[in-house]
Amino acid sequence: MSSDLPSERGPVKRRSLQIVAVASATALFLAGCATAEEETTTATTDQATTTETVVEAAVSILDSVKEAGSVRCGTRDALPGFAVLNDAGEHVGFDSDFCRVIAAAVLGDASAVEMVDLETADRFTALQSGAIDVLVRNTTWTATRDGSEAATFLQPTFYDGQGMMVASNSGISSLSDMNGAIVCVAKGTTTEGNAALESSRLGLNWEVRSFDETDLILEAFLAGQCDGWSSDVSQLTGLRSSYPNGAAELVILGEVFSKEPLAPAVLDGDTAWAQAVNWAVLATIQAEEFGITSANVDSIRSSTTDVGILRFLGAEVPGSDGAAVLDPSLSLPTDFAYQIVKQVGNYGEIFAKHLTPLGLDRGLNSLWNDGGILYAPPYR
Amino acid sequence: MITWMRRNLFRSITDSFLTILSGSLLLYVVWQALQFIFVTGRWEIIQVNLKILLVGRFPDELIYLLGLSILAIVFGISALAAGGRGTREHKSLTLLLWGLLQRFGLLIATGVLLIALGGDQESLLFGFYVIAAVAAGRIFGAIRKRTALSKLPGWAWVLINVLPALSLVFISISQAALEEWGGFLINFYLAIVSIALCFPLGVMLALGRRSALPLLRWLSTAYIELIRGAPLFVLLLLAGVALEFFIPDSITPDPIFRSVTVFTLFTAAYLAEIVRGGLQSIPKGQAEAGKALGMSATKITFLITLPQALRNVIPAQIGQFISLFKDTTLAGVALSVFELLNVGSAITKQDAFLGQGLVYESLAFVGLLFWVGSYFMSRESQRIEKKLGVGIR
Amino acid sequence: MSSLPSTPAKVPFYRNLTALKWAFQIAAVLLVFALLYWLYSNYQENISKSNIQTDLRFLDNPANFTIPGNDFDQSQPVRDAFVQGFLNTIRVSFVGIILATILGTLVGIARLSKNFMVRTLGAVYVELIRNLPLLLLITFMNLGVVLQAFPRIEDAWVPLDLFVVSNRGIAIPWYLGPSGQLALIILAAVVIAFVVGKIRVRQADKSGKQDRAWLYGILTFALILISSWMIFGYSFETPLVDGRGTTGGLRIDPSLFALLASLVIYTSSHIAEIVRGSILAVNKGQGEAADAIALSGSQKMRLIILPQAFRIAMPAIGNQYLNLIKNTSLGATISYFELTQVAQITVGNGSPAVPAFTLTLLVYLGISLITSLVVNYFNRRLALVER
Repeated sequence: MSSDLPSERGPVKRRSLQIVAVASATALFLAGCATAEEETTTATTDQATTTETVVEAAVSILDSVKEAGSVRCGTRDALPGFAVLNDAGEHVGFDSDFCRVIAAAVLGDASAVEMVDLETADRFTALQSGAIDVLVRNTTWTATRDGSEAATFLQPTFYDGQGMMVASNSGISSLSDMNGAIVCVAKGTTTEGNAALESSRLGLNWEVRSFDETDLILEAFLAGQCDGWSSDVSQLTGLRSSYPNGAAELVILGEVFSKEPLAPAVLDGDTAWAQAVNWAVLATIQAEEFGITSANVDSIRSSTTDVGILRFLGAEVPGSDGAAVLDPSLSLPTDFAYQIVKQVGNYGEIFAKHLTPLGLDRGLNSLWNDGGILYAPPYR
Repeated sequence: MITWMRRNLFRSITDSFLTILSGSLLLYVVWQALQFIFVTGRWEIIQVNLKILLVGRFPDELIYLLGLSILAIVFGISALAAGGRGTREHKSLTLLLWGLLQRFGLLIATGVLLIALGGDQESLLFGFYVIAAVAAGRIFGAIRKRTALSKLPGWAWVLINVLPALSLVFISISQAALEEWGGFLINFYLAIVSIALCFPLGVMLALGRRSALPLLRWLSTAYIELIRGAPLFVLLLLAGVALEFFIPDSITPDPIFRSVTVFTLFTAAYLAEIVRGGLQSIPKGQAEAGKALGMSATKITFLITLPQALRNVIPAQIGQFISLFKDTTLAGVALSVFELLNVGSAITKQDAFLGQGLVYESLAFVGLLFWVGSYFMSRESQRIEKKLGVGIR
Repeated sequence: MSSLPSTPAKVPFYRNLTALKWAFQIAAVLLVFALLYWLYSNYQENISKSNIQTDLRFLDNPANFTIPGNDFDQSQPVRDAFVQGFLNTIRVSFVGIILATILGTLVGIARLSKNFMVRTLGAVYVELIRNLPLLLLITFMNLGVVLQAFPRIEDAWVPLDLFVVSNRGIAIPWYLGPSGQLALIILAAVVIAFVVGKIRVRQADKSGKQDRAWLYGILTFALILISSWMIFGYSFETPLVDGRGTTGGLRIDPSLFALLASLVIYTSSHIAEIVRGSILAVNKGQGEAADAIALSGSQKMRLIILPQAFRIAMPAIGNQYLNLIKNTSLGATISYFELTQVAQITVGNGSPAVPAFTLTLLVYLGISLITSLVVNYFNRRLALVER
């Protein structure tokens, strides 16, 4: 898509510079006429392309992804632990790895993913306009977003909750100490509404100030413009670990005052694609439950006799009428779970790689049989 | 001296009081500024980030293309300027140098500052190349007058000087994806491309608004007034979230495409008003003379009134260009284009500089570049205004 | 335009000027409508594909955010948030226009002062500010001045024990009680003072003495205020630092201060240039005539030059007012809750982008149109009646 962009804009630019050249001379009006003509011609050609896209509209994103050979994943580039750019300019983090999980599942190649950095306020528009195939960008699953943003949310990758961070020396030890406090949040997020709601629920009269980006909140916090910094606990943990004056300067209060299930989202009305993404995420959870990691997946696949694991990894399962591979008709390759675990890892590995270093506990994000709420439907 | 002081500083008691007040204020500001520049300012943040401030993430291995483009542009402009000079009064060398210093001193000083900040041999060398390009351009311009080149028609001469620069710019655009352009370079790019693209539309709108044909007039007026009543920032935000809804799927708009679209449509309305003002300033007799010669209305417009009008409003057009140039900063906040101001605030958030209050240094540098750019252009516009004699006749 | 000689023979339609003109017009209009239709059909198609709202229903949804310094509740509908944003835009524009006009006029006069120092200071101010992007000024005001240079609330500056300045805002003493009443009395006082001034001028014209209308006006104004204070007994409350913020008085939000200050500084530099140019454009003879009848410097400026200069400057200054109003939208970049910020936040919270931003644009358009009507009205009132 983006590769044919330069050619799209080529003529425009050339035209513009022609005009610069001619503008310095006196024959300006000629350029004007020429451009007017060109504009009408481009208009008609574009009209032709519009009719073409109408025909294509019924095609599932799953097919277009397979055709394009890469997944366009809406993400961000500056949230420690979830998605940041490393020195080589690659996206690294929990969310970025789930983008790779999807690519590994659908295309069998975890690197076949195009990361599209989005602003918080643009993320749903990008999804609606088809600029991205899937949104994996710390997005809270809410009813309104599910309904009016034309997004379908899938299995949450991270169960989060909103918390509050304050300066250690502020003398604040719980939310109730924060009467009349200035609470700083990021603009255009659910955080804003939650903070306002919590304030009125506790009768604390907070002044909620919103900022365009996290770095601006940091500046304001450092300068003493904010008493509290409210965001999802996972984010606060990451921000605290990279606080310039040292993490000890900050405390995250114990209270958590909202449910924030962070889930990948796809466009409404494309069941095949939604199922594919959903099962890609679920497979990481199931793999952890089976104890399959990227290190032992090959040996388990070749040595195990557990029918459930064999089915899951897309290996041949001995049955009454000979060996067969389970194909649940998800439009995914039968070995998608194997590819995910082999190339990226299971849920626990992804968590341990990106979030544990920040000081985040598994907590709610443990498996169901380990005190958490991660539970994958059976693969059979 | 004393008379001058008495006349200009201490005419009366209130006057003396004002002198002391404003003088001390001025001194305080200058003192603070000097202290900031030479003592307290921590300029390593600029030195480290000089490249991304100027050209963004432009690929290192292609940067020579930019250098060549700049040299070609400088060469072309000096050659054209040399060619354009008609009568040449003989001035003494000192006077000539003084005049040059007045006109270009600011640019030279900024260039020297940038070289000093860059601090390596290559930037110094590049400085010399620029001087050489200026000299070569002047010589080439001078040669034209003495040789067969002078028989070339004007447009061909312009083409000779503009074409190399243009082709180099094109090569740069085709080699390095626009997404990698950034910093001050992208501010210039946005401003120049948008002003060039908006020119035809602006002129058409101006003609439409003055047209005797009512439908055309209403349409043009409606467009101009609608756009002029809307804040540029909101238009950019709207383009940021909504442009894709209005164009076919085959075009995926990137931030630069979005900003060029908005800047073009926006500036066209303002340019239309400027051109309209120019058209109004042309005495009726001009059109009447055309009519007397039996020219058609179209011919009268395009051969008589419009060229004069455009010439008369060159200073106003430069003014519009300056304000567009300054407004390109909005693309940074509205559409995350990696332009100079955006880079300036981004670098204070690098791990090495975060939370150290270096916003003064970075904003001062960003401000300096914008200031030099627009101050130089407005001075040049005043010069052209004087040369054209607009408002004197 | 050109009148054709009437010919008996019927002109073929392709040579008929009227027909040609109409054909051209219709073609142009059709082209424009085709373009609009093309945009609209693209829009329809893209919208239908993604099943998002295109109407204004979102205005009834709860806003889910609060507005600092306002008792706007997060359960109120988005509609109310837009109204609050609109009021804040108007507030900043109004105060900004007044302050920028005063500052701009002063600087413009200063630039023409005979005093070298004053002149230089004016020139430095104008040339420095005019050539900087407004956004840079706003960013600097917000990050450099308010956030960094202003003290933390713990060490707030308390000049004269009247103001509290900190990076959490500036608090000023403010009147306690119903503000409508005070506003009404001030309005009445202004009107009466103005009338008294006019009467003085008329008297002075008859008697030939100096009018001192300003002095009379100000005295009347003060008199009315003092007497109403005696009657109603206003009390003013000075702000106090109280833990995390200030209590009492009027608190000016830090982002409001940053926005207002940069808008005033930026616009005043432009107004100063206009005022200077207009003063220079006033016929030299006018000043000489004023000198000839021995008017003092300030009288000459006040009575002869400035009224004529303002007549010349009015359209250009009106444009600057419009610019200032439109530039308040940049308040969103520093999170001041004006119209654009409200639109941006509601869109981020799930309101559909196209209707929300279009609504915002229309409101700005309305404000601009009304302002230009007002400016045009004054312009006509002031315009010299040509012979």
